[in-house]
Amino acid sequence: MPNKIELPPEEEYSFPEVPLTSASLISAGHHLGRQCDKANKEFMLCKAEEEDPRKCLREGKEVSRCAFAFFNQIRENCAESFTEYWTCVDNSQHDLYKCRKQQGVFDKCAFDKLGWVRPEMGDLNQVTVVKTERPKPVLDADVPTPEKSPKPQIPEDLKAPRLGSKVFFFS
Amino acid sequence: MAGAFYKQDMPPKGGYGPIDYKRMMPKRGPSGYVLFAGCIGVMAIGHVAFAYTNRQRKNRLYEQREAFFGIMPLLEAEWDRDTLKQLKHTQEQEAIIMKDVPDWVVGESVYHTKRWVRPRVEDLYFLANSKERREAMFGFNTFV
Repeated sequence: MPNKIELPPEEEYSFPEVPLTSASLISAGHHLGRQCDKANKEFMLCKAEEEDPRKCLREGKEVSRCAFAFFNQIRENCAESFTEYWTCVDNSQHDLYKCRKQQGVFDKCAFDKLGWVRPEMGDLNQVTVVKTERPKPVLDADVPTPEKSPKPQIPEDLKAPRLGSKVFFFS
Repeated sequence: MAGAFYKQDMPPKGGYGPIDYKRMMPKRGPSGYVLFAGCIGVMAIGHVAFAYTNRQRKNRLYEQREAFFGIMPLLEAEWDRDTLKQLKHTQEQEAIIMKDVPDWVVGESVYHTKRWVRPRVEDLYFLANSKERREAMFGFNTFV
């Protein structure tokens, strides 16, 4: 019973990636988690409920769109301080605590120009309840297992081999 | 006759003084109680410093992890789209390669279920060129 892996049409999953390196992503992580909170949680809930990336492409696109808008806002307003911050993070093995000075400058810029507040510690890793309009999915039932083939009958007049087991030739 | 010329040697009056057999060491260093107290104090300070450093390190880890939580949905969305793109590419190549074989189902799942099973990296990249496949499979390994 072959199950073909169905793929959605290509325009559903053709969306550009955020063209940034890991240091800049991780140094904007707190603000990104706060600003794109709704899209992120919607997407993660969809992934957890559907257990299928093909059904969460719309939500994933929303996440990417929000991230693009977020980084564009940073580029327009706080490009210099953010570049300094993520360069420092890049040069210090992605340890955010080593770059408190640049982080303060960037946070001040973000608060003054964009009104973004860095979330307090423990804000982002809390378990939250997400209100969504997506109906609760019904997962596909598993394919029923086929009937087992009957066991082979061992003939009763089976004699022991003359030279012992053939598996261990030395015994 | 002899008794008049010698005198019996006798202890001095009142007897000998006590023999000075005791070990006379100069008193130096703190006493045992002070040493005990010092040890306990040093250990207490060490424990406090240890707890403080642990808390600091834990907070740093929390911070790193929260930063990762912020970008994780974005990364996951991009990975999902990448996986589907690679699957589509693989299926196209498979259709070209196996076009002469009758009754061949392109993109057949090897699993006995209708649900989504996350394909392995080997399944995604087995038709890509070797450099691409190597990077996908071992690209994030930092060891040799």
